[in-house]
Amino acid sequence: MEARYSIGMPNREQAKADVMQGTLDLMVLQTLSALGPLHGYAITSRLEQVSGGALQVNMGTLYPALMRLEQRGLLRGHWGTTDNNRKARFYALTASGRRELARERRAWDRMAAIMQALLRGA
Amino acid sequence: MRTLREWTHRLGGALSRGRGDRDLEEELKLHLDLAAEDARGGGRPPDEAARAARIRSGGVLQAMDALRDQRSVPWLEHCAGDLRLAFRTLRRHPGFSAVVVLTLGFGMAINTATFSLVNAVLIRPLGFREPERLVALHEHLGLEAGPFSPPDFLDLERDQQSFEGVAAYANVAFELSGQGEPIRLDVAKVSANLFQVLGVGPILGRTFTAEEDRPGANVAVLGWGLWQSRYGEDPSIVGRRITLDRQPYTIIGVMPAAFEFPRRGPPTNNKPAAVWVPMAFTNAERQGRGSQYNRGVVARLREGVTLDQAAGELAVLASRINANYPAELREAKISVRLSARSLREEIAGRIERPLWLLMGAVGLVLLVTCANVANLVLSRVASRTREIAVRTALGSSRGRLLQLLLAEAAVLSAAGTLAGILASRLIVGAIPATMGRALPGVRDLSIDPRVLAFTAAIGIATSIFFALVPAMAIDWRVPGAALQEEVSRSTPGRRRHRLQAGLVVSTVTLAVVLLVGAGLFVRSFSALLATDAGFNPDRVLTASLTLPRAGYGTAASVRAFHRALFTRASSLPGVRSAALVTDLPLESYEHRVLSAEDLGQAATTTASTNLSWVYGPYFPTLGIVVRSGRVFSEVESDQSRNVVVVNDRLARTFWPGQDAVGKRIRWGLDIAGNNNPWLTIVGVIADVVDGPLGAEPLMHAYEPFSQFSDDVLDNFPGAFGRHVKLAIRTDADPRAFASGLRAEIGVIDRQLAIESMATMADRVGDVVAPRRFSVMTLGGFATGSLLLAAIGVYGLLAFNVAERRREMAVRLALGARPSVILRMVVGDGLRLVSIGLAAGTLASYGVARAVGSLLYQTKSHDLVTFGTVPIVLVLVTLTACALPAYRASRVAPIVSLRGD
Repeated sequence: MEARYSIGMPNREQAKADVMQGTLDLMVLQTLSALGPLHGYAITSRLEQVSGGALQVNMGTLYPALMRLEQRGLLRGHWGTTDNNRKARFYALTASGRRELARERRAWDRMAAIMQALLRGA
Repeated sequence: MRTLREWTHRLGGALSRGRGDRDLEEELKLHLDLAAEDARGGGRPPDEAARAARIRSGGVLQAMDALRDQRSVPWLEHCAGDLRLAFRTLRRHPGFSAVVVLTLGFGMAINTATFSLVNAVLIRPLGFREPERLVALHEHLGLEAGPFSPPDFLDLERDQQSFEGVAAYANVAFELSGQGEPIRLDVAKVSANLFQVLGVGPILGRTFTAEEDRPGANVAVLGWGLWQSRYGEDPSIVGRRITLDRQPYTIIGVMPAAFEFPRRGPPTNNKPAAVWVPMAFTNAERQGRGSQYNRGVVARLREGVTLDQAAGELAVLASRINANYPAELREAKISVRLSARSLREEIAGRIERPLWLLMGAVGLVLLVTCANVANLVLSRVASRTREIAVRTALGSSRGRLLQLLLAEAAVLSAAGTLAGILASRLIVGAIPATMGRALPGVRDLSIDPRVLAFTAAIGIATSIFFALVPAMAIDWRVPGAALQEEVSRSTPGRRRHRLQAGLVVSTVTLAVVLLVGAGLFVRSFSALLATDAGFNPDRVLTASLTLPRAGYGTAASVRAFHRALFTRASSLPGVRSAALVTDLPLESYEHRVLSAEDLGQAATTTASTNLSWVYGPYFPTLGIVVRSGRVFSEVESDQSRNVVVVNDRLARTFWPGQDAVGKRIRWGLDIAGNNNPWLTIVGVIADVVDGPLGAEPLMHAYEPFSQFSDDVLDNFPGAFGRHVKLAIRTDADPRAFASGLRAEIGVIDRQLAIESMATMADRVGDVVAPRRFSVMTLGGFATGSLLLAAIGVYGLLAFNVAERRREMAVRLALGARPSVILRMVVGDGLRLVSIGLAAGTLASYGVARAVGSLLYQTKSHDLVTFGTVPIVLVLVTLTACALPAYRASRVAPIVSLRGD
């Protein structure tokens, strides 16, 4: 059976979270860039869907991350209504969020290329 | 950058709480709802769907915790809570808190006040541009570094390469008349380039041009203080005429408020001027080689030139200057050396050591207060053992407990610091009045940001100390142990006891050091007061005047004034005798080289002799003892008979073991060109102190004013010979004669300003004021720390006794006599005291050696001091032991059976 990845820190154990946190930020930014403004649950669902259910992000991880990105000025959150007419908080990329995404993506690509070269070349 | 932004948000969140909890919870709830809906969409029943949603999404509570942490700065939130808690706890113990705050406040106050002194005198910039390049230049005749003679300064100015500029200055006193009462002003005659050398410009108008630096230019630059007080900050003052010494001067500029020059501190030319006028050397001054060594010189080093390089050039210049001296001066082996030192050292050098000493003393007092407060805090920890144990059991980490202790310590220290700063303002306000004249820079003594930073730093250090001390006392290994009541009562933390005993011992040690230090200075001061100054200051009133050249241009007018003042003052009812003199005891006026008749090689010394000019019965008026011969007669007061009275020192220097009466001396070197008349010694008087009290008496000669040169009074510019000090010996309180004397002076010359009027006793008091101040403060510090040490001993014993009540009761019940208990408790106290005493005596021996050079006629191992201190200490601490010991011996045996 395929392994399921869980990005989360249900308690405040931060052991391996640092690396994963950086990835989560990138995933959130990318998702919002691709789909436009979304609320928190939509972001999780999208991540699950894209990963084929391998990636589960719980609230204790997602919302602090959203808050952090908002505090850094990469996102802006505002209350709105969903298609089903429910009140939800939507997150949208800001201009500096878009710039950050581009930067992070390049860094990721470079890293991935290095890893690939390393793993294959050996 | 982005992280910075995040943290500003977080800090903002900590203060304003950011997005509210409700807002966050709502968002999480929606998340769960949507997750549950999805699960129901998958065909599960509602409650199972909700469970699945929770498993998938995690708990709301955990998410909220993580969100709260992200929203703000967690430890900051804890901090605020801890501080609130600490504040509440301390308010519940007002007695404890008040004692701590007052003790700490005392230590903080004297430290803040003393540091503000150090700051003003030693640290604060001088207020000149690039002060590190400013140097003071000196000319040495013999060993002592002193001011310059004008021709030598002019040589230096012409030839030097090391300096951007050199400027001469000299203090004079001028009469300012015109509107209102005439007043005497401290004025400085300065080279035109002085302001450029110092690098300070005027706020109004301009300073002197080189052309104005010549006799007759009569222009003046005003100081800010005078401009404000006398001219109401009139912005159109430039161009106005004022009358200085009855001569018209044109004001050309006003200097800023912060500009002060000359500075207090150096031995001469040290009076901050209210007005500056050009130096304007006269021809006589330019050519007066080998005389008038009285011009201060300040210079600015060229960029890149070091003090050493400049000193090298000065050595070369000195030899050139020596070559310019006339042959007869060179024959007499008169030679000069030049030297340079930084201006800062020139101003503050003499006060630096005493000031750091004072700072050291208050530092010790602060340590004593800290040790005492730490002791109090420790006693409180004992009663909180259980609280701390409960907190630990409930899961508080050691770090969180420390944070709590730190918060309490911080609240205490902050209150103490605040109290200290407030109190120090009072102390600082009182300092200039006591010793303003003695200290450079005291005019603007203030608690500025640097002083506040210093105090705050101490405050932070003390709060860490007060947090760590109880932390050290807590036994962290067995948190639960304290919960067991019996255990907590019968073993009262040995660790804490050792700490407390250590603190008390160090308090005693420090107190001993301070007591010995203060004792040495008290001994030194009383030795100083007990020295025979050579005159009797009781019931003597003095007045200082200077006759302005414009009103008293001729010798005849000066002499007429002398006669009139002498006659009027002598005939005041209640006045026994009156006399005029150029300089009273504790002052000096004129220094000359003399030679004695028929003594061959021994006839001259390079040491200079003080010369005073007297009119009337000066010696009886001041109560100066005549050793042999007689004083001047009435006839000699008015007619020159070439007579002189000398002091013991002079007589012994030239005629050791002989009577000097009848011998002859004359001014100047024993060389062919000397045309000064021979003067016959008619009397020898006791040595009178010319400088500060305790200074070695110098050779001193007194001539009747009738022998003063008419030519100088008629033709020489300046005030030389026009200074008059009047002294009257009275029948009753001399103060009562002040108004009568003023009136008589007014009758002779209504315009004449009286510089000062003071009893001779007050003049003596002024001279010793700085020393009296340091003795009193040191004494106060030592007494304070002795009391603190006693309180520490008392506190520790009282606490121990309270803790061991049951043990005492058991002992008494088993038949121990109360006197045994008494002796036991007192013995405990004395053991601590004797350890402290031994350590303190050793330490103070080192301190005493360090301050030895500041003492007057007192050895650094003064037996009286080292003998008295232990006795006083033991007596005081014994008193402190008495009460707890008495209480212990009176514990009712029944206590042994009772619980808490």
